[in-house]
Amino acid sequence: MSAPDPAYELDVELSVNGEARRARVEARRSLAELLRDDLGLTGTHLGCEHGVCGSCTVLLDGEPVRSCLTLAVQATGRAVTTVEGLAVGDDLHPVQQGCLECHSFQCGFCTPGVLVTAAALLDEVPDPDEATIREALSGNLCRCTGYESIVEGVLRAAELRREA
Amino acid sequence: MVARLTGSSVRRVEDPRILTGRGRYVDDVTLPGMLHAAFVRSPFPHARVQGIDVSEALRMPGVRAVLTASDLDGVATDLTPVGPPDLLLAPFPALARDTVRLVGDPVAVVLADSRARAEDGAELVEVDYDPLPGVGDMDDVLAGTTAAIFPELGTNVVHRATHRYGDTDAAFAAAERVIRARFEQHRHANVPMECRGMIAHHDPATGVLDVLAAHQSPHALRLHLADVLGLPAHAVRVHCGDIGGSFGQKFGLTNEDVAICAASVVLGRPVKWIEDRSENLMVGGQAREERVDVEAAVDAEGRLLGVRLRLVLDQGAYPKIGYPATGYVSIVRALFPAAYRLEHLDVESVVVCTNKATYVPYRGPWEIETWVRERLLDRVARELGLEPAVVRERNLLRPDELPCESTTGVELQGFDPRRTFDDALALLDVPAFRARQAAARADGRLLGLGLVNVLEPAPVTPSLIRAMGIMAAPRTVQEARARLELDGSVTVFTSQMPHGQGHETTLAQLAADELGLTLDRVRVVHGDTQLTPFNMVGTGGSRAATLASGAVVGAAVAVRDRVLAVAAELMEIAPADLELVDGHVVARGAPEVRRSLAEIGRLATMRPGLANADGRPGIEEVGTYLSEEGTWSVATHACEVDVDPETGLVHIDRYVVVGDCGAVINPAIVDGQVRGGVAQGIGAVLLERSAYDRDAQFLSSTFMDHLLPTAVDIPRIEVHHIHHDPTGGIDYRGVGEGGAIGAPAALTGAIEDALAHLGVRITEQHLPPGRILELIDDVTAG
Repeated sequence: MSAPDPAYELDVELSVNGEARRARVEARRSLAELLRDDLGLTGTHLGCEHGVCGSCTVLLDGEPVRSCLTLAVQATGRAVTTVEGLAVGDDLHPVQQGCLECHSFQCGFCTPGVLVTAAALLDEVPDPDEATIREALSGNLCRCTGYESIVEGVLRAAELRREA
Repeated sequence: MVARLTGSSVRRVEDPRILTGRGRYVDDVTLPGMLHAAFVRSPFPHARVQGIDVSEALRMPGVRAVLTASDLDGVATDLTPVGPPDLLLAPFPALARDTVRLVGDPVAVVLADSRARAEDGAELVEVDYDPLPGVGDMDDVLAGTTAAIFPELGTNVVHRATHRYGDTDAAFAAAERVIRARFEQHRHANVPMECRGMIAHHDPATGVLDVLAAHQSPHALRLHLADVLGLPAHAVRVHCGDIGGSFGQKFGLTNEDVAICAASVVLGRPVKWIEDRSENLMVGGQAREERVDVEAAVDAEGRLLGVRLRLVLDQGAYPKIGYPATGYVSIVRALFPAAYRLEHLDVESVVVCTNKATYVPYRGPWEIETWVRERLLDRVARELGLEPAVVRERNLLRPDELPCESTTGVELQGFDPRRTFDDALALLDVPAFRARQAAARADGRLLGLGLVNVLEPAPVTPSLIRAMGIMAAPRTVQEARARLELDGSVTVFTSQMPHGQGHETTLAQLAADELGLTLDRVRVVHGDTQLTPFNMVGTGGSRAATLASGAVVGAAVAVRDRVLAVAAELMEIAPADLELVDGHVVARGAPEVRRSLAEIGRLATMRPGLANADGRPGIEEVGTYLSEEGTWSVATHACEVDVDPETGLVHIDRYVVVGDCGAVINPAIVDGQVRGGVAQGIGAVLLERSAYDRDAQFLSSTFMDHLLPTAVDIPRIEVHHIHHDPTGGIDYRGVGEGGAIGAPAALTGAIEDALAHLGVRITEQHLPPGRILELIDDVTAG
């Protein structure tokens, strides 16, 4: 059998955390690889690379997507938000602040996916109850915490948004 | 010293970087000239390797090299497990030489310009396999029908030992009743969210091997690598950044560690390997596969008179380097009585070798002793028509019986064997639950209550190590250093290797309190064999709370003493009349007379001999801490479930943990450890399984097959702390493992309690909905 040529490349232009970025990538390259390897944004983590664990979740035009299952070229012309884009300068996003106050995380590996998923949830449902939060986060696996501290962090984030 | 930080849930030092995407995990690092590795792995459980053709792979653009076993000859020796004389062990190569022994066994490693190209290359390596029968069932091994997986060992039964304590024959002769059961625990896995990974860089110019790894014990990895690669240990540096969980998986030395480092030696370039999830589920390490046959002699009141156990552990094909299987069976044996009164005990332990993944330590590696003992107590209650709580009460030691030595030789002291249990019963109100349960049954709903008493050695005590009979030195020493910096802050060097436990926070809390500093003036350094004190374990075994705390407090006190000595010279005030307050040395009673720690630090460092009379430059001191008896964390778990007989779904209505881990350094961190452990135990029962068929073909290599609990599966977990007999000083005990140890017993006990009136008895640990329905069908169909 002859080797397939994986070298077919395409240009990607997109907005990442409000900044215009471009790269030339192999057509098969995932959005996660684009972010981590080409754009140096290593805050987004790869936990399973088959779309289950949710660690790689980013926002694509405000909607949570698995960046491991999204091709880089699919993000052309669109806006991506990663965990690095949540805080504004030194001001933490409410989900970051809430999770800081509630000791939400331990090892930090699932964290980027949980934070952006929770941020999207609060944009849509500003005052979620616990069941809504658990349902919204049910696609984000965390192996350290048993989730209770994360739920507390998101509840606190909703409170912080109301106070703001 | 007035504790200002210790004991309170101060915010974690780690969190600002973790929450903003600024953590640095091994896969976040790129080195110049770095190659990426992908492994070619066996699809067969057991096969002869007849030949390997790498020519197509080498033609793939971007592929720089493909290494097989023969390429490592002269670079790396075989991995050589070490254990006691009664454990049969054989060396094995990092890349299979002539035989593959499990699905996922590495045969070749492809090095390429990107991970994708390396994986492309791996697909093009052609391996000619001649399949052999796979061994996937411990009964086939015990029946003697399997060919030896390591022919040089002549058998797949690699360990067999019997220990007798007391006189079980007499106990059984006196028994009112003898209860027999077989309890089976299924194979499952640690599953950290970050898979394994490393970057190895052997510099041909200096001869130094630099390894960035996700690993719980950097010093142990350094020594293992030096042995296998024939390098001086001082020419190997292992360091770690942030680590995305481990739970016992990232320990010891693995085939991949050796192959990646050897590849860097061969190629003279940095080599990165990041395990993918399928590899992690397949070969990252699995645990817990044990079966126990129990015979218990009891009296008419449900008291245990004597117990006979036969434990079989399936270690998989390759033994874990650094963790011989006899370690697990011996700690299970030594801990089995826990805080219960049990004088007569026989334990037969058997370890078998199969064509499965390596059995590795997983959070509370001895958990089977708690599960089997508590299932047995429930069975005793069931057979005698007693309340399970009453059977436990009758068998638990009373506080006035401590200190004492268990029949296996373990010294029990420093805790109250009844307090967490009594408090849990008070919280639960068992009679009220029984009334609710009866009313629910009338409505066709099935409620159940499970109880478990956990005795966690945290850290392992000297008498427990002696009782296990596996090591010469029963006491464990841990070292830390603390250094006063030129700006008056303090750096603490610990031999712990945190991977989620928050030691940068907890150890800083302790040191800051000793030195009169705020938390942000103490920095904790870990995970670099060039900087941090030697320790073969790193982080594991629930050791940090006592041992690392003791060492860090010791080092901080030594720094304080030298600071005071230097300040006494400068200020011409006796050390006893000085104290450390908010970063200053202050004269007692005259707070305006003060020198800053920055000034002390600069003078002591840059003018040695002037201020510090001993002439020793700088203030950097060592603290050591030696393990002692009495370091037990005790807990009682209670679980209430609602089992749906139509769907087999188990809903956890309530989960309570009452624990005593001594003084608590940071309550939020402790509660997180407990809840996280309980969640893993719940997952083990309701969802998780590393599945093989009887021929050892692997069946669960994705998260669609190996299910993990999500936010909708894990309930709120009530955690209550008590503190029996505060002693002051280093009165902190570990809590890393107890949650995971207690939960399977509490949950399976509750499920049996819900179904017992139908005739269901739970003797297995994996109870997904389909299995619950089968169990109900089995008793109702007959």
